[in-house]
Amino acid sequence: MLEAQGLRKRYGAKDALRDVSLSLRQGEMFGFVGANGAGKTTTMRIIMGVLEADEGEVRWQGRPLSFDDRRGFGYMPEERGLYQKMKVGEQIDYFGRLHGLTPAASAAATGELIERLGIAERRNDRVEALSLGNQQRVQLAVALVHRPTVLILDEPFSGLDPIAVDALAEVLAERRSAGVPVIFSSHQLELVERMCDSVGIISAGRMVAAGPVEEVRAREGRRTLKVVVRDAVPGWADGLPGTLTTEGDRQTLTVTEGDDQSVLGAAVRAGRVEHFGWEQPTLTEIFREAVA
Amino acid sequence: MSNLWLVARREIAIRARTRSFVVGLLVTAVMVAGVSFLPRLFGGPDSFTVGLVGSAALEPAVKTLAQDVTVTFRRFPDEAAARAAVTEGDVDAAVVDNRSLLADGEVQQSLGALLKSGHQVVQTEERLRAAGLDPAKVAEATRVPPLQEVSVSAASGDAGVRAGVATVVVLALFFLLMSSVMQVAMGVVEEKGSRIVELLLTSIRPWQLLGGKIVGLGVLGLVNLVVVIVAGLGSALAAGLVADLPPGMAGIVAGAVVWFLLGYAFFAAMAGSLGALVSRQEEVSSVLTPMMTLMMAAYFVAFFAVAQPTATLARVLSLIPPFSSMVMPVRMAATEVPLWEVALAAVLMVLAVVGVLLLGARIYRRAVLRTGARVGLGEVLRNG
Ligand SMILES: Nc1ncnc2c1ncn2[C@@H]1O[C@H](COP(=O)(O)OP(=O)(O)OP(=O)(O)O)[C@@H](O)[C@H]1O
Ligand SMILES: [Mg+2]
Repeated sequence: MLEAQGLRKRYGAKDALRDVSLSLRQGEMFGFVGANGAGKTTTMRIIMGVLEADEGEVRWQGRPLSFDDRRGFGYMPEERGLYQKMKVGEQIDYFGRLHGLTPAASAAATGELIERLGIAERRNDRVEALSLGNQQRVQLAVALVHRPTVLILDEPFSGLDPIAVDALAEVLAERRSAGVPVIFSSHQLELVERMCDSVGIISAGRMVAAGPVEEVRAREGRRTLKVVVRDAVPGWADGLPGTLTTEGDRQTLTVTEGDDQSVLGAAVRAGRVEHFGWEQPTLTEIFREAVA
Repeated sequence: MSNLWLVARREIAIRARTRSFVVGLLVTAVMVAGVSFLPRLFGGPDSFTVGLVGSAALEPAVKTLAQDVTVTFRRFPDEAAARAAVTEGDVDAAVVDNRSLLADGEVQQSLGALLKSGHQVVQTEERLRAAGLDPAKVAEATRVPPLQEVSVSAASGDAGVRAGVATVVVLALFFLLMSSVMQVAMGVVEEKGSRIVELLLTSIRPWQLLGGKIVGLGVLGLVNLVVVIVAGLGSALAAGLVADLPPGMAGIVAGAVVWFLLGYAFFAAMAGSLGALVSRQEEVSSVLTPMMTLMMAAYFVAFFAVAQPTATLARVLSLIPPFSSMVMPVRMAATEVPLWEVALAAVLMVLAVVGVLLLGARIYRRAVLRTGARVGLGEVLRNG
C-alpha cells in the first residue's frame, strides 16, 4: 500500500501543492489527471524523493518510504532523460544493474522488454538516432527493467503511436495483475477511464476528486437526461427544465434535474421520440466541472 | 559501493571507445616521445664523415678521442678531390696532409675540436719520436685520461637533465589534470542538462554518481599518465638519453603518479560540484573560471619551481594544497626534497582532498536536481 498524506509544496509565493493525499492498494491502477500546472508532476516527484515536500509524508507498506524502497520503484520522469550517446540495449541494461539486478537478470529483462516494446531491431543504435516516440519506449523500458514494486509514470502515453499505446497498456495491465500499484498521469481521459481502477483529479494543488472511477462518477458527476424528438411541434419544451438544441428536424433536450416521466410525456406528445435515457457523465465532463 | 563501480565502469567503457580518447592517447605519446628526442636534435649530429689526403695517422687518434660520436674516414687521392667532396657535402670536413682542414664554411664545432685535438696528439707523438724518444713511452705519455666532471652542489650534477624531467612532469600533470577535470564537469552537466540525473538519483545516491564519475575519469587520466611515462622513458631509452637520467627516476615517476591522483581528486571534486550548479554545457567554462585560475596559478608556480626548486616561494607552496599537487612533484624531480617536507605536503593534501570531497558531494547533492537557471554557490551552502 502506497500512501501520500497531506503533501504541501510552495515555490516562493506560489502554492504548487496545497494538500494532496492519495492511496493505492496493491494491484491498483491510479489515473492522475488535472490541468496543466495543477501539480501532478510535483506530486510524483515528491513520491519519488526527487523533490522534498514542505509538509506531508509518503508511506509504503505502513512505514515512511525509504531510499531503498524507492530503489525498487519504477519511475518515468516528465522531463525524459536518457544518455543520448549510449546504445539502446546497453542503456536499459545499465539501469537494470543500477537497480540491483545481476548481470544475467538484467540482460534477460532487457531482451524481453525491447521485444515487447517493439524496439528490438534498434537495440544497437544510439538513443539519439531514434525518433521521439521510440526514445519514449526506451524510457519506458528503463522504468520497467527491474520489475518494479511500484510504478510512477508521468505522462507515459504522450507521444506514443496507437500500437505502442496498446503495448504499454498491456505491460501495465500485466504488472497490475502481478500486484504492482501503478500511478500514471495523463491528459488522455478516455484512456484513464478505460484502464484505471481509480482516478484522482487535481486542481490548483488540491485533490478535488479521488476514488474508484465509478464512485467518482456517481459522486461528482451529475447524470443527465437526454431526449431526442423528431418533427416536434414548436414550443413543446417551454415550461420544461433543461436546454434545447435544434439540428435539422431533430431537437435534443438535456435535463440535469427534474421529473423524467413528465419530460417523457411532453416529448411523446410533441413528436416522434428517437432517444430517451439517463446518461453517465464521462470523465472528461467530470473533469471540466471539477476544474472549472 | 557497487553502484559507484557501475558508474565508473560506464564512464570508462563509454569514453575509452570514443575516437577522441584513442587519438588523444596517440597524440600525447607522440608528443612526449618527440620531447625526449629534442635534446638530440639540438645536440647536433652524432656521426661524421671526414676526408683524408696523405697521412692516415689521424684516423686512429681521432677514433680514440671520439666518445659520444662516430667518425668515419674516407681517403682521397689529392686536395682537389677532397675539396670537391666537401663542396658536394659528401664529407663533413677533410684534412689535407696534416696541414689544412677543409670545410664548407665553418667546420661543425664538436667535429672541429675533435680533429684539432687528434691533430695535436698525432703531431706531438711524431715530433717526440723524431726527437729520438721511445715510441712506446711516447704513446703512453700522450694517453692522457680526460678530466672527470665532479659536482660540488647538492644536486647530483645532472641539474640540466633533472630540469628537463621536471618540465615534462609539469606539462604532463597540468594538461592531464586540466582535461580530466574538465571532463568531470562536462559529464555532470550532461547528466543534469539531459535530466537523466532525476532518474539516476532514484536508484543511486548522489555521492555514488559523482564518485563513480570521478573514479572512472580518473582511471582514464591515469592511463593517459602511464602512456606519457612509458612513451617518455621508452623514447629516452631509444634516444640513448637514459644513461643521463637522474638516479631517482623511479621515485620521480611514482611521485608524479601519486601527486597526480591527489591533485585530480581535489580538482575533480571541485569541478563536479561546480558543474552541478549549471544546466548547459556553454555555462561550464564560466562556472569553472575560479577553479581554472587556481590551477593556472599552481601551474605557474610549478614552472617557476623547475628553474628555482629551492626558492622560498617554491618551498612554501609545495607544502600548501592544492599547489602542492603540482609544485611538489616538480621539486622532487628538480632537486632533493627532505622527506619530512614530502610527508607534510602529502598529509595536508590528503586532508584537503577529503574536505573538498565532502563539501563537493554536498554542493552536488543540493544543486544537481535544480535545473534551469544557474544555482548560486552561496545559496547551496547556506540552505540546510
Ligand atoms: N521549479 C519550480 N519553480 C517554481 N514553480 C514551479 C516549479 N516547478 C513547478 N512549479 C509550479 O508548480 C505548479 C505545479 O506544476 P506541475 O509541474 O506539478 O504541474 P503538472 O500538473 O504536472 O502540469 P502539466 O500537466 O503541465 O505537466 C505549477 O504552477 C508550476 O508553475
Ligand atoms: Mg506535469
